[in-house]
Amino acid sequence: MNKTFTVLKNELLTLLSRPSFWLTTLGIPLVAWLIFGVVGSLQGNNNTSSALSSIFSGPADLRPEGYVDQAGLIRTIPATIPAGTLQSFEDETAARLALSQGTISAFYVLPKDYLQGGQLFYIRPDFNPLASSGSQAGLFQWLLKVNLLGGDEQLANLSNGPLEVKEVPLVPQATRDYAQEDPISFMIPYAVTLLFYFLIMGSSSLLLSNVSREKENRVMETLLTSVTSTQLLTGKILGLGLVGLLQTILWLGTGYLLMNLGGRVFSLPAWFHLPASMLIWGLVFFILGYAVYASLMAGLGALAPNMREASQVTIVVMLPLIIPLFFSSSVFATDPHGPIATVLSIFPLSAPVAMMARLASGGVPWWQLTLTVLLLAGTAVFIVRAVARMFRAQALLSGQPIKIKTYLQALFGRG
Amino acid sequence: MNKTWLVAKQEYQRHVFTRRFLFGLLSVPFFMLILIGLIFMIISMNNNTTPLGYIDQSGLLAHPQPAPPVTPPEKSVPLRAFADETAARQALQAGEIQGYYLIPMDYRSSRKLQAVYLKAIKPFPRQYFYNFLEVNMLAGVDASISKRIMAGDEIIARSLDGSRQMSSKNGWFGLFLPIIAALGFMIAMFTAGGYLMNAVVEEKENRTMEVLLTSISPNQFMSGKIIADILIGLTQILAWLVVIIIAIRLASSRFPFLQGIQVSPQLILLCLVILLPTFVMVSALMALIGATVSDAREGQQMTGLISLPVWIPYMLVALIIENPNSPLAMVLSLLPFTSSLTMLIRQGVTILPAWQIALSSIIVVVCAITATWLAGRAFRLGMLRYGKRLRWREIFQRKAGAA
Repeated sequence: MNKTFTVLKNELLTLLSRPSFWLTTLGIPLVAWLIFGVVGSLQGNNNTSSALSSIFSGPADLRPEGYVDQAGLIRTIPATIPAGTLQSFEDETAARLALSQGTISAFYVLPKDYLQGGQLFYIRPDFNPLASSGSQAGLFQWLLKVNLLGGDEQLANLSNGPLEVKEVPLVPQATRDYAQEDPISFMIPYAVTLLFYFLIMGSSSLLLSNVSREKENRVMETLLTSVTSTQLLTGKILGLGLVGLLQTILWLGTGYLLMNLGGRVFSLPAWFHLPASMLIWGLVFFILGYAVYASLMAGLGALAPNMREASQVTIVVMLPLIIPLFFSSSVFATDPHGPIATVLSIFPLSAPVAMMARLASGGVPWWQLTLTVLLLAGTAVFIVRAVARMFRAQALLSGQPIKIKTYLQALFGRG
Repeated sequence: MNKTWLVAKQEYQRHVFTRRFLFGLLSVPFFMLILIGLIFMIISMNNNTTPLGYIDQSGLLAHPQPAPPVTPPEKSVPLRAFADETAARQALQAGEIQGYYLIPMDYRSSRKLQAVYLKAIKPFPRQYFYNFLEVNMLAGVDASISKRIMAGDEIIARSLDGSRQMSSKNGWFGLFLPIIAALGFMIAMFTAGGYLMNAVVEEKENRTMEVLLTSISPNQFMSGKIIADILIGLTQILAWLVVIIIAIRLASSRFPFLQGIQVSPQLILLCLVILLPTFVMVSALMALIGATVSDAREGQQMTGLISLPVWIPYMLVALIIENPNSPLAMVLSLLPFTSSLTMLIRQGVTILPAWQIALSSIIVVVCAITATWLAGRAFRLGMLRYGKRLRWREIFQRKAGAA
């Protein structure tokens, strides 16, 4: 066991002495702080933000839009339309003239057969149908609707559907369901999924590159003369895991602080602040997820003859982690407790990422959490043992090309 | 020159006629299919055909007219009127209805509704109920007008000279066609570029290069590799195009919005004058990286430096679509790495001035030529160095002949 510790110490020292490691570990929170700082200070300063927005979106267009009413439908202009935002023209030639002179930004043509066909022509010099011309978007359609209904604005409003719907759930809903229309509530599970994916993948691929490099340059042959393969594997997993854990704590801590500070900078709603329990669950799922994936990766590194071939097979191992990412913007944001999300979050291989996404949106039942942790811990034990078997001298020293089949066979103790 | 083709042919065959390439080729349409399937699944999750209840206290629905027919994938929902809340709540608790709406007395002036449910009412049933409300609000209006309002407008955006137009009926799908094309192009470009870089590093690592260079000049070797790289990329694109065209043919009968897809000549022009030079530039840079680094892993890290600026416009896609003529979009479409994607995004939503296309194309062509020249030079300097990286300074410092 003493030798495990020696391996561990060596791994720690080599990794911590690399400048690139410190660059990513400290650089990412630093960049995040910078972005928050810049955005925060910009919000306080109107001049800079308007200058910035004119770079991003061009100067605001305040010119009116024109319309040509060939169908003879528009008789009144309701008071809700601000004066000078819509301008009527006799015919298309006049409208085109005004457009070329630059007095209007675009114009609509309401053709004679509008009532039958429902077609509206929108003529713009830059053609962009998605351009948001300020407050004018939809104004003409509103004008048209009011006129179709004989100038009855109340009726036109009524036909737009309800103004306000009061939601009355009879049973308590998951904590954040009511904010579904809020873009930020979509972002949180997404961001958490992504963060966990990168954390687990980043730290477990450290192990892959480490093992396959030492196999490639034959350091391992020398090492195996004085330590057993199990000692080597445990030492490596623990050593690199500690480093990964350090990174996770640093990043999660920064994220946690930023979230809470962000409340002041962005005036975010109170529920947005991540609860501290997230941090603890995050650590639990990171450790377990890391144990599973790092061992899987180490197994890959042990079987593949070199780095390049190993990284080609990585995708197969990583697939269960990628699947929740596919769903993250849809299922986990809209229906975090539906069947798909629940299954993915309990299935051990996708659990580390999927469960975190669900935790971020809140309201996960206790029994599911416990079940997931137990299942994941069981899987971790199984896989670490299986991979330790794989770390036999024979496999480590051979140079045969890796196949998914051989990998799976070795994992389940056959072949 | 003959030997260049020999290298190109060998390289092409080595990569294309493998199982891995075929696998990669098929995996993209495969993942697209999965993605489309997922989207359909998520859409169908918005349906719930359990009856929906309502309590009308306003008298607006005294003589209800049926809701307008729905278009798939939406499904119609049976609507049940309740006299009072107690009855509705009982039905809800018994699971006979998925929820109910309460229309208060003053709905006409306040337009406020109450939605009561156990589990939030799904979007499609909600929309179905709103349509039902709308039909009944418009009950007193002339039939042709109410029909018009219910059906909604078809807005046709048109350019000044009428050369381009696009209808909202197709869901503005045409806008995204150039973006999809650009994405496919980028993926092909980086896969093929990755092969090229790996091939160069590998041949350098296992000393094949030394043998090769006894019978072929470095320039021939390099241009052969780059030509093969571009051909590999084009093979991929061609294969995807065939799959996509077949898929659209098959699907357009079921999904009418696909019929609105038109490939404009300008899109093809852009592909030729901007995407192709970008491809050459990236290939040359990949070869440059392959020649300067000492092993494949280091090469992969360097590739990130190239791919990052290429993907910047993709991250800003919403901003560019909304304001295609902003200073930001203009600058991005002139810079050599970002221009290809930015130009294609903008092409969908606006009319690109000819001078911008020309300028952007000239810049990227110049960059491509420079990159190829640099790659050749770096190769000559770095080909026989092992385990030691070629410094960027050295590429520029020494004369080519001095190596």
